[in-house]
Amino acid sequence: MTMRWCLAAAMAASTVWGAASVRADDTSFYAEAAKPYKGVTIRVLDEITPLQETLSKIVPDFEKETGIKVEWELLNHFEVINKGQADMLSGRGYYDAVMLHGFQLGPMISAGVIRPLDDLVANPKLANPNLNTSDFIQQPFKTAAFTGGKQYSFINWNYNQVYWARADLLGDPGEKAAFKAKYGYDLAPAATIEQMRDIAEFFTRKKGAMLAGKPLESDFYGIVLEGIKGGSTFPTLWENFIKNYGGDLIDAEGKPNFDTPQTVAALKMWHELWTFAPPGIAEYSLVDVPTVMGNGIAAQSIAWSDFVLGIDKKGVSPYAGKFVYGPIPVKAGTTKRYAGAEPSVTVINAASKNPEATFIFLEWLADKKQQDKLITMGEGGVPIRSSSWALPAIAGAANQSLYAAMQSTLDVAVAKPKMPKFYEIYDVMSGIAQEVGLGKITPEQGAKMGQAEMLKLCTKCLL
Amino acid sequence: MASAGETMAPGGPARALPRERFWYPYLLIAPSMITLTVVSLIPFIYTVYLSFHAAKFGRVTDFIGFDNYAQLLTDTRFWNSIGVAATFVFIAVPIEFMLGLAGALVLNQNVRGRAVLIPLLFMPTMMAPIVVGLLWKIMLAGSWGFLSYNVLERFNLIEGTSVFASPDLALYALIFVDIWQWTPFMMLAFFAGLQALPLGPYRAAAVDGANPLQMFFHITLPMLTPLLVVIGLLRFIDAFKVFDTVYILTGGGPGTSTETPSILANKMTFEFWNIGEASALAVLVWLAFFAFCNVFYQIAKKRLNAF
Repeated sequence: MTMRWCLAAAMAASTVWGAASVRADDTSFYAEAAKPYKGVTIRVLDEITPLQETLSKIVPDFEKETGIKVEWELLNHFEVINKGQADMLSGRGYYDAVMLHGFQLGPMISAGVIRPLDDLVANPKLANPNLNTSDFIQQPFKTAAFTGGKQYSFINWNYNQVYWARADLLGDPGEKAAFKAKYGYDLAPAATIEQMRDIAEFFTRKKGAMLAGKPLESDFYGIVLEGIKGGSTFPTLWENFIKNYGGDLIDAEGKPNFDTPQTVAALKMWHELWTFAPPGIAEYSLVDVPTVMGNGIAAQSIAWSDFVLGIDKKGVSPYAGKFVYGPIPVKAGTTKRYAGAEPSVTVINAASKNPEATFIFLEWLADKKQQDKLITMGEGGVPIRSSSWALPAIAGAANQSLYAAMQSTLDVAVAKPKMPKFYEIYDVMSGIAQEVGLGKITPEQGAKMGQAEMLKLCTKCLL
Repeated sequence: MASAGETMAPGGPARALPRERFWYPYLLIAPSMITLTVVSLIPFIYTVYLSFHAAKFGRVTDFIGFDNYAQLLTDTRFWNSIGVAATFVFIAVPIEFMLGLAGALVLNQNVRGRAVLIPLLFMPTMMAPIVVGLLWKIMLAGSWGFLSYNVLERFNLIEGTSVFASPDLALYALIFVDIWQWTPFMMLAFFAGLQALPLGPYRAAAVDGANPLQMFFHITLPMLTPLLVVIGLLRFIDAFKVFDTVYILTGGGPGTSTETPSILANKMTFEFWNIGEASALAVLVWLAFFAFCNVFYQIAKKRLNAF
């Protein structure tokens, strides 16, 4: 017994010592690597979400550790895209580093405004040997950071979508019995798109009807999805529906491949789901969807998990704690699974005058120590490292189903294909997604129109 | 400056300035001319230059002649945007014009409380476009909009969609917002014109036994025509260029049902970074306006004695 205790104590001591020595090494690495750049100021542009707000509290530690000053600017989704791109494309180099969503990478790489990192990664004075990139969640990292054999970034944000439903409604005995009587199977969070459709139909009710034993004071809807022109409406349709139905935007060679029976079937389902959604669905952005769920007027949704984290909180939504999450539903019978995600990165501006100092900062950001701190301080979050799933803030979090859903999405998440004309394609497809959803055009017309528009823009659409 | 004892007939021919003061008028207008050249003329010339070049992602590369124009003129989306703007203008501006004129005539009748009424009426026009956009978003947003929820949906005036989410209704909603915002401007401009009309012709007409309708058509309207033409033209140009409220309320959607040339140009520039084609669009719209305004000016000058 004593022997066992001694061994355990020795192991614990060695673990603590080991961890401390790794920490000491890492700290000294960044301080040492940054010595030639002490006093340099770098400007970094990032997007404002709850995740970045937490990160902004950690950034001053980098300044203390390295002596490199960081001007850290946070802007909203649309501004960070416009201002960041404008600066990079102007060649002015005001920002040394800019956060880019995965979909921005194709156009920006093709414009030649992102500095590849390969020489910096190969430089032993700058590259931290303990960064441990194998701990990054691999598929988002590899598909976002590398293009054409070059590395352009690490991974910074793993935005991902999850299935989100009202647990109190799905668990209500009366509703369960009525659902089983109507559809012949048990009411539960949707695992398939077909189940999601049934749940949407079942819960769409008019004012005055009963819901979970209480009369409704206003209309209630079976589903809410993003439907605004622009935003992430088309990616929601593309990655969660079209791909799960076996269709896609392009084929393996990058040729437009939108007009397929699979896409038509997915568009049919997309339209059908819109008939169970609130009348304003075509106005709903990625911010409105969680707001509608938080206000309790819809039964289920597909939403971005980082926004969910901001809603499913006591004091924010009266339904906080009454939600359940799950993996993105797939088409019944399919074996390959897809889920909407937007792995995003911070890149070095090709016009940056301080690429080395910026590189040290990017490494420091992606370092395990900072990532652990980010998750811990934010009392959860969206991890970029596999090891983060085991952190107490995630492993011990109350909404475990949310983290399980996130993990399920990130297991299959990929960055958007690198298409130089992504914005034009995205804009056209976003309009088609709306028009099909609203029933203005048929799914068949939508697929044909999408293919024709794609062909106008590119015949080989990949970089 | 005229010396003591000298008089100058108003509108009479300008007398030649002494040689040493020849540059004086030019010196006086120099600041505004320099400002106009820097902020308006140079960017315009550069826009024309860009429209003849391949300019993608901020990189100006080859001279491509009229390719950008050809591309644009064969693009259904461009013609759709012109159609949207034309519908917008030809519905909104005449209604604003007629309501504005009617309101001005009413205000001109010594309405009680006019001093309070005028600033109140002018409020929509004084609002920043972003405020107008947000206000009507709050009013008409699907499911939770004040009017959508309490009126349109409650009384089943609209079902299964919302105003801004419907390709059939969104444009008319934008027209309605424009009318709401700009009718007071027309009204007050016309009212100011009515207030400045001389009373003599009316007194003479009254002596001759003319009724109010005859006075309106034979005295008011002809005398007010120059102002009506100028205000109408300015509003027409302004309405065709509408951007802010459309951007905030619909972003050009659903689909492309509310996409005006300004929205499309913004998209081409700041989303697609296709600056060459966006410049061609800007030049084409400018040319169309230039031609239209010239024709309009000539007609208004000759037939309506407006300028």
